[in-house]
Amino acid sequence: MNQPRYATINLKGKRVLVTGGTGSIGGHLVERLVMECQAEVRVLIRNFARASRVARFPIQMVPGDIVDPSAVHQAMEGCDIVFHLAYGSSKETTQGTKNVLKAALEHKLERVVHVSTISVYGQTADGDLDESALRKYSGESYADSKLKAEKLAFHYFRKYGVPVSIIQPTIVYGPFIGSWTVRIINQLKNERVILPEEAKEGLCNAVYVDDVVEAMLLVATRDKAVGEAFLISAEEPVTWWEFYAAYEQILGTKSVIFASQSDLADLNRQYKREHGTIHQVLTTFRRIDVLLWITQLPAVARFIRLTEGIIPRSWWQHLKNTIILHGSTRQSGPLVSEEKPLRLLTDAQNREFKARTRVRIDKAKRLLGYQPRFDLEEGMRLTEIWAKYANLV
Amino acid sequence: MLALVENSKSLKESTMMTSSEIAPLKLGIVGCGAAAEQGHIPAAVVSDKVELAVLVDTNIARANKLADRFSVPRVAEDYKEIFGQADAAIVALPHALHAPISIDFLNRGIHVLVEKPMAPSTAECDRMITAARQSGATLAVGLVRRFRYIDQFIKALFDSGFLGKIESFDLREGNIYNWPIASDFYFRKEMACGGVLMDTGAHALDTLLWWFGDYESFDYFDDNMGGIEADCQIHLKMKNSVRGFVDLSRIRNLRNTIIIKSEKATVEVHVHRFQISIQPKGLHKKIVGDVVESYGAEWKARSVKDLFTAQLEDWVEAIQNGGQPLVPGEEARKSVELIEACYQNRKLLELPWQRCKTV
Ligand SMILES: NC(=O)c1ccc[n+]([C@@H]2O[C@H](COP(=O)([O-])OP(=O)(O)OC[C@H]3O[C@@H](n4cnc5c(N)ncnc54)[C@H](O)[C@@H]3O)[C@@H](O)[C@H]2O)c1
Repeated sequence: MNQPRYATINLKGKRVLVTGGTGSIGGHLVERLVMECQAEVRVLIRNFARASRVARFPIQMVPGDIVDPSAVHQAMEGCDIVFHLAYGSSKETTQGTKNVLKAALEHKLERVVHVSTISVYGQTADGDLDESALRKYSGESYADSKLKAEKLAFHYFRKYGVPVSIIQPTIVYGPFIGSWTVRIINQLKNERVILPEEAKEGLCNAVYVDDVVEAMLLVATRDKAVGEAFLISAEEPVTWWEFYAAYEQILGTKSVIFASQSDLADLNRQYKREHGTIHQVLTTFRRIDVLLWITQLPAVARFIRLTEGIIPRSWWQHLKNTIILHGSTRQSGPLVSEEKPLRLLTDAQNREFKARTRVRIDKAKRLLGYQPRFDLEEGMRLTEIWAKYANLV
Repeated sequence: MLALVENSKSLKESTMMTSSEIAPLKLGIVGCGAAAEQGHIPAAVVSDKVELAVLVDTNIARANKLADRFSVPRVAEDYKEIFGQADAAIVALPHALHAPISIDFLNRGIHVLVEKPMAPSTAECDRMITAARQSGATLAVGLVRRFRYIDQFIKALFDSGFLGKIESFDLREGNIYNWPIASDFYFRKEMACGGVLMDTGAHALDTLLWWFGDYESFDYFDDNMGGIEADCQIHLKMKNSVRGFVDLSRIRNLRNTIIIKSEKATVEVHVHRFQISIQPKGLHKKIVGDVVESYGAEWKARSVKDLFTAQLEDWVEAIQNGGQPLVPGEEARKSVELIEACYQNRKLLELPWQRCKTV
């Protein structure tokens, strides 16, 4: 089956610098810049151990860190366009972005594509979201540093006329993508993942990585993109349930457990009592822990029903068999059969899975001619082929 | 800086001593990257057969750091500075430098243990072999996996006929790149002369050619789009009609084992750990464990550290007794020949999610 196609964007003769080119999205961008746009590509590389993907292409690899102003300045020498994807700690993100903007000003670049994120809008409300929404700090360091970086970008545009264009991708998934593909697959493989009941209707504005790259190329080449920010997502959101179910289907397992808010509260309270700390960080329980502890829960009866309802009979049977085959002397009741550790939700995640924010991409469509080519089915089809090849499944 | 002393008398004297009074060989290590740090320097430091006299690296800060850490008396920036100072040199340099610098040593009678791949081309391998032959210096190649008991055990097992006829092998070796490199050479075509095939493949193909003999034909695929490959796959047919598949990667975590199927059993060998399993055909049971070797009454497994020591001492013994090292140039050349042939006959690996299908 062939992939959906985009119109060719020609960058022949253009010199392009990519920061964050060794990252998962950067790898896709570099591929298209080199192979299709025929740009002369330079990648700023902090850690060559991560360069395997981009080293496949005929590009120039310059060693350097975005936090080093002179390295960034040198790397941008002679360039026409910079795609700025690199980020790190809060300080690295803001300092790095400032260095990129300054160098772009000094070298008079014709375009700075700044890759931001939907997170700059903080906790989003239910209903439609477009670029007119208020940006706000959320207290989460990644989101806040990306908002600071975005503000710097606008500042350099307004004050110095640096031709900045910004994209704000949503939930990016696809081959190589760590956060919303590799991480989720590994979680579903190794843990039982709890989602709030509301995730069955909560909206996931998922976007396949190739559509994000397409948007980067469009903002790099469309005049109307200068000084503007664009939310980039797929045509329509899906539910979080659908998103996780797509991965479960790839894996052929059922690892998601839906829990009501009162179950979640019980779990969290219990956990805090047992462990004495407030877990802002994700917390996984090792098997035995969970078993002993779960059976003491007041909500345990409900919980057993919950898990039994979710996990098919054949799966229980399978679990029992494996346990028995491995010679466990423990009783093979349903809870004991549960081998995988359980992962609790943070409050922020709980909110994210509940939210019904619908990201609008009308501005990108109108000003850039952006047209996403991937729906969840098509995106996951390619993701699955890759995940199998990558030995994740 | 070291004084430059031309072709040393001291070298000749030391090699002519009788075995009872053998002084440790004066050793220089050229290239103080990850391989030297993890393998060669620690091995040289613990061995009483060599005296680690000097570390060489163009990145002199790196050489100094390691010299401090391992108490090596001298450092040098240019390998030529050690000509009079060392009887033998370990060459742990970027691939493109293996042949020219090894040959420079060999021509002066300095013994060489060169890292894998022996050289990026068979033409260079041949020049290295000739240089060693002409000067009488001993050339060994750092195909360190040959020193694994487990690999030696497998080879003996195959040869014994214990497993019956070997039918196929399936090797998957890969990790999301995590080698603690000290330079960027692996990712620069001019210096690395290839990607994962030239690097990991040098070990992997050597093992396969050693175990199964020469190949008859192959199909080679990789993902190189004008740089160096991160992934490659080889379908091999050996002269003894064993068929095999090899999958190597720098961007995927693969299972890192070789599965060999024979008439009588399935054998799985881990390529990094020292773990082996044997499952007789038709039996749903297998044995899993380490391979150990006897030292008198004691049975010992070999650690990664032991491998580099064993490799070093095997080479020193060959130097001192005038014998062959376990992996001489002629042996290491075989995998270089296959690597070269693969690159010459490469086809593009099919990656359905990749947008651009042609190079
Ligand atoms: N046997 C094994 O298991 C094994 C493992 C890793 C690497 N290797 C091989 O070892 C060799 C070195 O690899 P590495 O991982 O140490 O690489 P590395 O990048 O960590 O180190 C290379 C070193 O060589 C130095 N160097 C470059 N040019 C030089 C010159 N002209 N003179 C002196 N020093 C120079 C660099 O400064 C650097 O310190 C390669 O051939 C590699 O394939 C073998």
